[in-house]
Amino acid sequence: MILINCPYCGEREQSEFSNGGEAHVARPKNPEALSDKDWGQYVFYRSNPKGIFYERWVHTHGCRKWFNAVRDTSTDTFLKIYRLDDNRPDISEFKSTLKSPSGEPSVGSGNFAVKK
Amino acid sequence: MSAINNKNCKYISQKEIKITFDGKSYSALDGDTVASALLRNNIRLIGRSFKYHRPRGIYTCGIEEPNALVQILNEHNEPNTRATIKRTYDGINISSQNRWPSLAFDIGSINNILSPIFSAGFYYKTFMGPKGFWKKIYEPLIRRTAGLGKPPKNFRSKSIHQNHNVDILIVGGGLSGLIAARKLIDTNNEVLIIEQDCFLGGILKNSNKVKSIDGKNVFEWVNETEKLILGSKNIKILKNTLVTTYNFTNHLIALEDKFAGKKIDTNKSELTLHKIRTTHTILANGHIERFISFRNNDLPGVMLASSFEKYIERYGVAPDEKPVIFSNNSSTISLVKSLINLGCKPSAYIDSRNKNDIEDETKDYLLKNNIPFYPESEVEGCEGNKKVEKVYIRGSNKEISSINTSMLCPSGGFNPDIHLFTQSKGLVKWDDKIISFKPDTAFQNTITLGSVSGNYEFKNLCNEINKKLSFLKVNDLNLDIETNIRDDFSISELWETKTNKMSKWSKSFIDLHNDVTTKDLKQAINEGYDRIEHLKRYTTNSMGTDQGKISSINSLGIVSKILNKKIEEVGTTTYRPPYAPLSFGAIAGRSTYEYYDPERKTPIHNWHIKNNAVFEDVGQWKRPWYFKKDESESMHQAVQRESKQTRQTAGIIDGSTLGKIEIKGKDALEFMNLMYTNAFTKMKPMTSRYALMLGEDGMIMDDGIVCKINDKHFIATTTSSGAPKVLSHMEEFLQTEWPHLQVFLNSITEQFTTFNISGPKAREIISKVFTDIDFNNEKFPFMTFKTFDYKNTQARIMRASFTGELGYEIYISPKHALELWEQLFNYGKEFNLVPYGTETMHLLRAEKGYVVIGQETDGTVTPLDLNFNWMIGKKKKDFIGKRSLTRSDTAREDRKQLVGVVPIDKSLFIEEGQHIVECENLPNKIKTPIEYLGHISSSYHSPNLNHCISMAMIKNGNKLKGKKLFVSTSKGTKNIPVEVVSPVFIDPENKRLVS
Amino acid sequence: MTKILSSDSVNVIQKNFLQVLLRGDGRDQFNQIIAKETSINPPSKNLEISSDDKYIFAKNSFDQWSLLYLVEQDYKKILKIVENLNMNDEILASDYSYGQVYFEISGNNKNEFLNKLTNFDLRPKKFPVSTMAQTLIARIDCSIYNLKDKYIVTCNKSYEEYFKNRLVDINNLS
Repeated sequence: MILINCPYCGEREQSEFSNGGEAHVARPKNPEALSDKDWGQYVFYRSNPKGIFYERWVHTHGCRKWFNAVRDTSTDTFLKIYRLDDNRPDISEFKSTLKSPSGEPSVGSGNFAVKK
Repeated sequence: MSAINNKNCKYISQKEIKITFDGKSYSALDGDTVASALLRNNIRLIGRSFKYHRPRGIYTCGIEEPNALVQILNEHNEPNTRATIKRTYDGINISSQNRWPSLAFDIGSINNILSPIFSAGFYYKTFMGPKGFWKKIYEPLIRRTAGLGKPPKNFRSKSIHQNHNVDILIVGGGLSGLIAARKLIDTNNEVLIIEQDCFLGGILKNSNKVKSIDGKNVFEWVNETEKLILGSKNIKILKNTLVTTYNFTNHLIALEDKFAGKKIDTNKSELTLHKIRTTHTILANGHIERFISFRNNDLPGVMLASSFEKYIERYGVAPDEKPVIFSNNSSTISLVKSLINLGCKPSAYIDSRNKNDIEDETKDYLLKNNIPFYPESEVEGCEGNKKVEKVYIRGSNKEISSINTSMLCPSGGFNPDIHLFTQSKGLVKWDDKIISFKPDTAFQNTITLGSVSGNYEFKNLCNEINKKLSFLKVNDLNLDIETNIRDDFSISELWETKTNKMSKWSKSFIDLHNDVTTKDLKQAINEGYDRIEHLKRYTTNSMGTDQGKISSINSLGIVSKILNKKIEEVGTTTYRPPYAPLSFGAIAGRSTYEYYDPERKTPIHNWHIKNNAVFEDVGQWKRPWYFKKDESESMHQAVQRESKQTRQTAGIIDGSTLGKIEIKGKDALEFMNLMYTNAFTKMKPMTSRYALMLGEDGMIMDDGIVCKINDKHFIATTTSSGAPKVLSHMEEFLQTEWPHLQVFLNSITEQFTTFNISGPKAREIISKVFTDIDFNNEKFPFMTFKTFDYKNTQARIMRASFTGELGYEIYISPKHALELWEQLFNYGKEFNLVPYGTETMHLLRAEKGYVVIGQETDGTVTPLDLNFNWMIGKKKKDFIGKRSLTRSDTAREDRKQLVGVVPIDKSLFIEEGQHIVECENLPNKIKTPIEYLGHISSSYHSPNLNHCISMAMIKNGNKLKGKKLFVSTSKGTKNIPVEVVSPVFIDPENKRLVS
Repeated sequence: MTKILSSDSVNVIQKNFLQVLLRGDGRDQFNQIIAKETSINPPSKNLEISSDDKYIFAKNSFDQWSLLYLVEQDYKKILKIVENLNMNDEILASDYSYGQVYFEISGNNKNEFLNKLTNFDLRPKKFPVSTMAQTLIARIDCSIYNLKDKYIVTCNKSYEEYFKNRLVDINNLS
């Protein structure tokens, strides 16, 4: 269980939080002006990268405040946690992230635990 | 040959206890494990192997045991218990497993004869056909023969969980762990040490390798250290506890056996699952010896050398007086010394290393003690009837000779126990010096100390620990550690020896638990399975409950030789938690049976119990489902009675579970307009409205009633199970999308108890209770509410009902809830006021065509599908879900729409969930899909109309009124003819509601 | 006041308190209005408690405060405070008095005891005196107030029986 550093309550266990999906997807100001396709894009599509991901969390069983986070989904490491009204950190801030231990071998399966 | 007692062993008391094994009684010593007790009694045959049912004995002295799995027949009937770990107590009753009728004569051993069939990939290749055989023959047969032990019956675990938060966790109370602990005494760190055994010391107590520390004997030094630790302010020790899992973020799980060595008290928790959150983890969990593959290396009587030594030093019993010892490394000589100290002598010492590589000290010692010495030699195989009787040695001249013996102790080297380290996502690296994998790059705050880090030499230990813990800024500790054997470690690679006499029943095993032979490995590689993860699954190598702890590295060695690759290129399979079998009872903890999910009860719950309510679960709530008039009344009868009475006179329901949210602020009106479909702007104060909440996709999420106190103050109700969801949904939008709106939300679900009384006599009853309020129709119209003071608490009455009858919803402080409820019954008695539950509520609303969220809606239903067009504020520029209502699919005219359905034969009953179709009969075998027009979402027998009424969602429903269709039934293939009607079955003009 | 369980290392008593839950922006005007109406200054730092033997005033969250009256009060007075506060647009006050249950947990081993039901870090360096936290205990949303020698734990009244049973059960098994 990951430890998450709530900007308001401090470090708490993952079980107190709920994930809120991709961050920085603003609700369109004028939904009527969008085509079905564009509106559908907003309602149904979200990114799902392996690697650095900007996402939202809410401290459901604590202060119930929403906040943003940058997490490396391949290592499940929180790179940064910031408030909703903070500036979105630039991706260049996270160049030297911890290398994923499950660094994909080029062919076939296995051998994830051995350092290459 | 017989076992010898080591009276000098300080870890076993000489007090005798009685144990039972396979029905016979034996003596043991207090402190014995099942294994050491059996060895003490010269019992070598302990079980039958998984696949071939070959006779098996005790192979090791620890958690890595692959063979000696037994069943404990006392209280909790624990199967698959490691005899090498389970401590005995007076009266323990043990049985061997996986054999019938007995251990000595096991019919399953026929598998051994059939063994050529059971080669690699057996499970995948066999049982493929002929058709029908799987269900009728193979599966029942496999079920009967599969598994090892029998599951416990009638035992409810009382395991509990214990959470810990510490700064430093030390895994392993052995030499390295204790040195680290000594450095941390009375520092600023909160430390927890976890030790598997009931004594600290690790290799100091398990072996003869260390002579003294700082001049004290090892027992003295450990005791002194333990005293210092227990006297410290900041360090705690947990014994009899095994760390099984290492997760993110530095979160570890350990299992404590609360009744190790004692009879279980079934009133107490027998296991504690410790969940530890730590800032730094120090892994000092040591190493595990590995075996060597040779012909019949599985016979009872073959036991790893360090394990034999551990039985002598830790458990006070030498299983045999003169074993044959076979090693490829410099450490095994300590076993010889242990035996000599006891007055015993090994029959032979076989060392596979080159003569020049073998230490002079070893050669001299063997010579001095007259022990037959075979350098540059290896064991070719062993033989015997259900036990080792003869060992065949291939000498340095490659000739085979044999020795008669009953015990053979191989040592193939040592593996740092890297399971926990790799679970933490650390990376390992191959080390040629120790010929094994050792930890290299930690992924979390993990430090490895001692043999687990690949350091096998005592002289370096304190330096290593001081260096690795220097970041903690604690004092260095330097100890003078004197060893009984030469400290430099040397080993020569040896995974398997060449077999001479291959008979069908001679096998060289690479996995003892799952009966995988070296031949299976080779066969699998020939078939193309040359990637280690595939190979593992295809052969089931290292997939047993022991996870191949003594053998998996060996398999990599063998595979690397066949594939002509380096071992690090072959790699290891992923080590997954738990490290050792973890009881499900321990994992569940107390969250079982009546504590499975938190239960919520309303303030008048006890009244419901007294009045024979039968409860149903709605989310976490316990709601009365129906009330039994007397013991003989069935549910159907009760519901029919309640429904009929409510429409005749009056009924009342406890609606306290419904969510209530208070919404207040300067921008409350704008917020409500955005969250719900309704237009709230022109809504008059002190009125109520049935409101719909949609998701952004236009689908109905929840419904409720919104009361407007004024433009800046609203109270919204939600469904019982939707309350938390709706509040979160509102908070999400307020915080993330519209932070500029000044609105505050509070959940007041618990702060008001809610009663809903409805029926023709409701007004009369309620007027008698609230004498100060005028309930006249003009003064108190439908969908309005009043707030007032009730016995100095806030109260509210809203005129609305879910039943379609004249009704009132009362909101009262829990302080006065019961008394008010009872008062209503006092006055309602003359009108036969009846309490009703959720089932009646569902029935009554169905008669009126009212929808229930989750029944008529399923996340794919829009307001338009339910003919709720009138609830959408047309002039509203925007609300959540609005744009989606005009998406081409959402705006389609032929979507599934809400209608009513009645059977044409009024005596028939329509079941919920059934399909609506156009064909009169379903074919016996459905070869082509039958068009499915819709489904029955709700269905009840209406006592007020005396026939079945149903609500359904049917494609194009709005255009189908009057149409004749069919509904499938679970009772056969003849469908029920029905007619599509309006979903409002009673009082379509709503005369009763507004009376 | 009801005794729930008692041993030489942990004591749990159930008490009844009156409570007001407040929502607002925590700015000067908010603080002034609250202070005027209740005669107590609301704390400004998140999770901070100001308390004496008569009351606990805690900031539960970024926009939420709890005022617990530890000594018996005239309930009418509390309701009047709620009514008056609600006259202001920037404040939402809700009377929480009869919808919550309150437990006082004390004893040398109260941390180890509670850590059988929650993974919340109760160590003084992570949960200092005069602070509070909202977290899960026995899988129920609870508030826990740290008052030096005892904790006050509150949760919704509907969970009362289940919560008490869990406390007693875990005490019996240990």
